Amino acid sequence: MQVLNWFFRPKDEGDARSRAKDRMRLMLIHDRLELPPDRLSSLEEELIAVVSRYFEIDRQTTRFDLQQYERKAALIANFPLLRSKS
Amino acid sequence: MSGRVIVITSGKGGVGKTTASANIGTALAQSGASVALVDMDIGLRNLDILMGLENRVVYNLVDVIEEKCKLRQALVKDKRLPNLCLLPAAQTRDKSAVNPEQMQKLCAELKTMFDFIVLDSPAGIEGGFQSAIAGAEEAVVITTPEMSAVRDADRVIGLLEAKKDAISQYRLVINRIRPNMVKTNDMMSVDDVLEILSVRLLGVVPEDEDIIVSTNRGEPIAGTDNTRAGQAYRNIAGRLRGEDVPFLDLTPKDPTWINKIVKIFTPAARV
Repeated sequence: MQVLNWFFRPKDEGDARSRAKDRMRLMLIHDRLELPPDRLSSLEEELIAVVSRYFEIDRQTTRFDLQQYERKAALIANFPLLRSKS
Repeated sequence: MSGRVIVITSGKGGVGKTTASANIGTALAQSGASVALVDMDIGLRNLDILMGLENRVVYNLVDVIEEKCKLRQALVKDKRLPNLCLLPAAQTRDKSAVNPEQMQKLCAELKTMFDFIVLDSPAGIEGGFQSAIAGAEEAVVITTPEMSAVRDADRVIGLLEAKKDAISQYRLVINRIRPNMVKTNDMMSVDDVLEILSVRLLGVVPEDEDIIVSTNRGEPIAGTDNTRAGQAYRNIAGRLRGEDVPFLDLTPKDPTWINKIVKIFTPAARV
C-alpha cells in the first residue's frame, strides 16, 4: 500500500510549501490593511444584503476574496445574479 | 567623497543580519572600495565577533555620539583588509543611547570618509531600528523562507516604503535557502517569497555549514573561496556596486539512476 500511495499521492496539493504560501498571502493582506479578523465577513454580509435588494443572487456560488496585486490588495466580489427584483 | 549608506535590516532576529553585514562589508572592501561597518545593535554587540575584532575594540558608537572620543579613534581596522573598518556598538548601554538625528549626523560624517557605510540594524521595528534607518539612503532586507521571517520582512518593507523620500531603494536577500527542500515542496522557494513580498531581489544565500566555521574563526565567509555562501555574498556586493551578476543556480543536481532506484524503494516520509 505504501508503494501505491507513493505513486498516487496527489501532486502539489496540500504540501508544506503551498500551504505556507497560501497562509502567507492571506496573513499579509490582513497585516497590510490592518484588517480586524471579523471585518471582512461583516462587509460580506452587508454587501450581500445590498445586492439582494436589487437582485436574487446565487448564494451557493457567491465568492468574496481579497487578492494581492503587487503590494496592494484588491477586493474581488463575485455575486452570480439570478434575476432582478421588481 | 560621498559614500553610500546602506542599512541591513530584517525585523525578525536570527535570520542572519549580522552575518550578512559582515560579509557584504567584507566583499565590498575586497573589491577595492573603502567600507565602514557600523554595529547598531547597542547592548547586544556581535559584529565585532563575526569580524574577529572583539579584542581590538576600545571605543564605540555611543562614545562617538557622546563625544568621548573622535570618530577615527573608535574605528577598528580589519585584520586583513586595510580599507575596511568597524565602528562597534556599545555593549553596556541600550538602544536609547542613540537617536535618529545623531545617526544622521554621524552618517553624514562617515560619508565623507568611506565609499560604503553598512549599518547593521538591530532586530525589531522600535527605536533601535528607527535610528538605524534614519541615516540610510538604501536598505537591504534579509529574510529566510520561513513564514515568521517573511511576515516580519513585510512589516519592515512597509515601514521603509513610508520613508520613500529618504530611502531611495530597498532590495531583498533571501538567506538559508535549502534547494533540496524546495524541490520536494517542503519549503517556499525564492520565487514564492518574491511573489508574496513583491520586492526586488538582491541575492540568494544558500544554507551553508561553512558559515558556522567562518563565524568561529572570525573570518567572514565572503573572504573564503570555494564556498557557496561566500560566492553568494560576493555576488550581492557586486550587484550593490551596480554590476550585472547572474544569480547562483541553486537547483539540486538530478540524482543518479542508482539513487532514483533507491528512492523508489524507500517509503515516502509522512508527517
